Formats: sequence, C-alpha cells, structure tokens
Amino acid sequence: MAASKRSKPPQPLTPAPAGTDPRVLRRAHFLMRLSRAWDSRFEAMARVGRIGRWYSAVGNECTTVGTSLALGANDAISTVHRDLGAVLTHYLDPTRLAPALFEDGDQTEWDALRPPPQSLLDQLASQVFGRRGGFTRGVDRSFHYGLVKPEWGIRHVGMISHLGSMIPVAAGLALANLQDGNDRVVLGFTGEGATSQGDFHEALNMAGVMKLPLILVVENNRYAFSTPLSEQYACDKLSDRAPGYGIAGETVDGLDFDAVHAAMNRAVQRARTGEGATLLECMLPRMRGHAEGDGSYELIPPAEREEYLKQDPLVRFEAMLVDRALADVERVKEVTEIARGIIEDAVERAMATEEPLIDEATRPVFAPGEVATAFARQSTEVTGG
Amino acid sequence: MAETTYIDAIRRALGEEMDRDEAVFLMGQDIAAFGGAFRACKGLFEKHGRMRVINTPLMESGTVGAALGAALVGKRPVLEMQFADFVSCGFNQIVNNVAKTYYRWEAPVPMVIRLPFGGGAGAGPFHSQSPEAWFAHTPGLCVVAPSTPRDALGMLKAAIRDPNPVIYLEHRFLYRREKEDLPEGDLLTPLGRAHVAREGKHVTILTWSWTLHESLAAAEELAKEGVSVEVVDLRTLSPLDEDTIFTSVRKTSKVLIVHEATITAGFGAELAARVADQCFEWLDGPVRRVAYADRPSPYNKKLEQSLLPGRERITAALRKLARY
Repeated sequence: MAASKRSKPPQPLTPAPAGTDPRVLRRAHFLMRLSRAWDSRFEAMARVGRIGRWYSAVGNECTTVGTSLALGANDAISTVHRDLGAVLTHYLDPTRLAPALFEDGDQTEWDALRPPPQSLLDQLASQVFGRRGGFTRGVDRSFHYGLVKPEWGIRHVGMISHLGSMIPVAAGLALANLQDGNDRVVLGFTGEGATSQGDFHEALNMAGVMKLPLILVVENNRYAFSTPLSEQYACDKLSDRAPGYGIAGETVDGLDFDAVHAAMNRAVQRARTGEGATLLECMLPRMRGHAEGDGSYELIPPAEREEYLKQDPLVRFEAMLVDRALADVERVKEVTEIARGIIEDAVERAMATEEPLIDEATRPVFAPGEVATAFARQSTEVTGG
Repeated sequence: MAETTYIDAIRRALGEEMDRDEAVFLMGQDIAAFGGAFRACKGLFEKHGRMRVINTPLMESGTVGAALGAALVGKRPVLEMQFADFVSCGFNQIVNNVAKTYYRWEAPVPMVIRLPFGGGAGAGPFHSQSPEAWFAHTPGLCVVAPSTPRDALGMLKAAIRDPNPVIYLEHRFLYRREKEDLPEGDLLTPLGRAHVAREGKHVTILTWSWTLHESLAAAEELAKEGVSVEVVDLRTLSPLDEDTIFTSVRKTSKVLIVHEATITAGFGAELAARVADQCFEWLDGPVRRVAYADRPSPYNKKLEQSLLPGRERITAALRKLARY
C-alpha cells in the first residue's frame, strides 16, 4: 500500500547528530533522572511491602528517553513495563516542571500544548498506587492504561499483560495515520521475550506490506522473566528479522544516547516520508529482576550480574555530559536532586489520596449508547440477587 | 422496493455506513477486489479504495489488534473473519484487549467483527461452528445474530454506529436463501432488543439466526395440532433483552430453547438459568433445549444433518413439552 501525501518535513528537536544537540541532552538528562528517581522510590517501597509489585525500568532510561525524544506532538507511543522514561517524555513539559534546569527557548510548541506537568505526574503516581486519582481509578494496575488527548499532543496506549498483543495495536495506530494521510509516526516498545509471540510476526509483516509509519523498539535486556536469550531465539540479532519483513532493522547499544537517538531519528525520518517501518533493537543490561523481589535476578550468574550493574546508563550519560563540558559535577548533582524532590512530592501526595470508590468495580463495561443502556437493563447483572 | 437477500442486506449496510461516516473502514482477507469469500464486500473497494477496504495478510490476531489501535484514535473498523471458525486465532485480542479496554480506561472501542458462521453446507469441522457462547461469556462484548435481511441490515448499521465492540454473527446458510422486500432509507434495528417473530399461547421458543426459521416451521406444524407456539427471535444475545423473554415465558409457562451451537455450556444454558431464576413460579414444565450434539461438525452432509437441530427435532421436542 503506497503512502499518500506525506510531504511535510519531519520536525525533530534536532537533525541526526554526530553529537546530539545540547538542548536535547539537557532535556534527556532531567527525564532520565526523573525516571530513575521514580524507580528508586518505588523499589524501596516494594522492598518493604508498601506496594505489591514493581517492575523496575532501571537500565532502560537511555533507550526509552532517547527514542521518545525524537517524536513530536501527536506522534503516538505504545508502552509496556519498563517504559516509564517514554511515558514521562511524552507527557511532561520539563521546562514547567523544573524551570531552574532549563533556559529560555527550551520550551517547545508541544510543551506549551501539554497540561501542567505536576497534575499528570500526580495522576501517574495515583495510578501506580491503584488510587482514586489514577488514570483507571483503581481498576487496572500501573502502566495498564492509555491516555489519548490530541488537544495535548498526547497519544499513549498502555499495555495489557499479554505483551506481544500490543504490537498489532501500535501497527493500527500507524495505519490510522496512513489512512489520514498525515506524517505522524508511532513508537512501540516491547521486550525481547514478546518477539517470540505470533503477534510480533503478524504486526511486523503487516507493517512491511502496508509500509506503516511504525518504529518498534525492542528493549533487549537479555532475560524474559528468567529465560535467557539462548532459550528465546536462535538468530544472531533480532534486527536480522527485519529484512524478512521487508522493513528496516538496526541493533544499537541501548546505553549510547547518541547512537539510540540518531537511529531513532533515522527511523522517524523513514516513517514520516513513507518509507515504512523500522525494527530497532536496543541492547540493554539486565540491571533488575523481572519484578522486584521475585527471585528472578538471583538466577543470573553473579559475575554476569556484576557486569550488568557496572553498565548503568545514567552513569555513562552523565560522564558524557561532563566530557563534552555540557555539565559539571555540580550540575549533575542539581539535576539529580531536583528530580528526586519532584518524585518524592508526587509520591507523598499520591499516598495521601483516597482509595477508589467501591462502585468503580461495577462501573460500565460499555461506552454510553444503545448497548450500554441494554446492559444496564439486565436484571441479573450482579449475581446472587 | 426490491427483493433483498440477507447478504445483500449486509453489503447495503456496509455501503451506507461507509458513505455516511468517513471513519468507517473495512479490514479482512480477500475483501478488496475479490469482495470477500462470500462477496459481502463486493463493489466497496472500487468505490472507496484501498485505504478504506483493506486486504490484510492471512492473520486474525494482528487484524483485530490493528483495528483496536485505529479505533482508539477515532476510526470505526469493521472486520470480516473469512469464516467464524478462524476467529479463534484472534481470540486473545478480542477477549483481553478489545473487550476490556472501556472498563479499564474508558476509551470507547467502536468496532464490528463480522463472523460468517453456522453449518448446513457440509463444510466440515472448521467451517461450520457457532461460536457465540465464547463471546457472550466475555464482559464488554455485544453479541448479535440477526435472522432476517431486515435485521441483518438494521443491526449491522446500528453496530457500526455504536461506540462498543460488536460480534456480528451472520449465518452462511441464510446468505442467499432469506429474501425480503426492503424499503429505501436509513433502516435501523435497535441493539439489545428481542423480537416476537410469532405470537402464541402454549409454548415459548427462544432462538436466533438459522434456527429461528426452523422454529417457525415447527411452530406452523404444531399449530395444525392445536398447539400455539410463540417464537422469540433474540437477535441480541448480549446484552440480553430479558423483558421480552420473561414476558413471553410468563404468558406461555413453557420454554424450549433452540440453538445450533453445541449444547454443553451453550448460550441456551444461560437462558435456562435466567428463566429458572426469574420465571420459576410461572413454569408448568421443564426448561428444555434442542441444540447440536457435543461433537465437531462432520463433513458428510448426511452425518451433519443427523446432528443439526432442524425442524423435525424441534417439532418432536415441542410435542413433548406441550403435554405437560
């Protein structure tokens, strides 16, 4: 299927760089630190049983932020467990959230469209706690929801627990762009485990046939729950599968911000100009287990674990900033502290919010209309009466 | 007024709704130039082009998932499964992703999944099934099964306009056998409303789709014997129109449930339970079911006919029930 008119030039924050634009790096630094601060807080709560379960994104920040920073307003993201960095990047205007860290001209047009960042952060925190103020008001867990608000430039579809199932959904978001003849793109995230599911194949095959404006990022952190790569797939790189679907494929070091961001910019360029989809595999260290405290991390040989823990993307990113004289140690400390404070406050506020109303459990399964009215008429909707 | 077959009615509904609303588009296998395995989409590709009549690769799960993505950003996809039997390959997307979205985060999912279903053609175990109970069991799905060209038209149009996922069961055996004179105009059949297809006093039949016509024939037979049978065409299985069902049962005091799907845990079991619960004091006989035996559908036509719940079996069951 040929793309219809997709002539508008792409508008990333920066052209594909040999060293990424300092404005992008400044934004990325804060968002990565925000993501890390969030994980640190929730990991601590998981350890003492204050939340039931936590799937940490530690190690993924460079990939989630580095890719999603290449998007513009009303490009869409589809996320799974460890994509907090992408959610924060897509939702928040950092220049309003942490004005002390940004300069005049850092705020983009899209930033100005977005709602006050604190309100979205509070909602996200309440969502994770399953409280009344969350996006699902207690009905579904952590990142199992979506937020589609074209007036804010936000198009986010969250996950269900069947991880591969979200890949065709991302393809469908891309299909709608093609049908509307616009130049928007879709960034889908998945893990290497989900690439073994049939939906991965069906979606990428469709993306190839229809030349969908889709970028599928595989966050390959080498273990799916406890299953290592060697038991997951037999090809050399997962991006080797791309030619089989007639799409572009790349594998990059998911800890190298410049490499991730440049590869994503190339993929976005292809998608915006009708050249179709890209499978972008980002290699990541396994820095945490599947869920905190589930025993899966202990199964990894200790020497291997040590190696992974040395590869912290934030340490590497901050060393790069200092190397390029874009930040000094003081600045790094300041970003870290401000991010930590913002998350502390959001978590405090969320913990003080109320439990959901019990009526949320029986809220409608149908959107208002004829079917919803008929459903409400059924006498035995609640059994045992 | 022109005579319209059941499948013509489906094609008319698709065409009218595509004309009315640009967000409506079709996805399925072989539906573009070929018009679909049964030609339900014939002519629509020529009129609306490849962005609105989309031939997919051979996939069901991917198609349903992609339709969900498109629906979440304002499209109104109408999917054709080539045969209802193949919907099992898209089952997870339907029951876990599509059906649960509105409850989870209140995003409407306007989507219709058309399922050409049912037996009678000697098509064997994988082209004959009646899968309505799989979906009626899942909260968040509307399940409809029109029996007549008028309702095939009106319910498909209503389904496309509703902001929720609708499983639309269209019976292959009725495609070219059922004909009706339909007027011009915007003909809609409300979703969630049953229809009393024949009024009667002594026994109520609850049924839908192909077995409605078999039930009407059996009712005609019983009339000759002085038994007056009321036949309720459910049309929508979920959400269920209990008012119409209970009103009929309370009038006749006897119930026969007839469906083509296999009997165990079929949708008839749900009907029987609700009738027993809500009409207990009015009942003058057992709640009986006539349905397919618990077997896959055999290929040889004589073997298949021996299992189908046709008019003879319905007539026999009615005679027994009338004696209570």
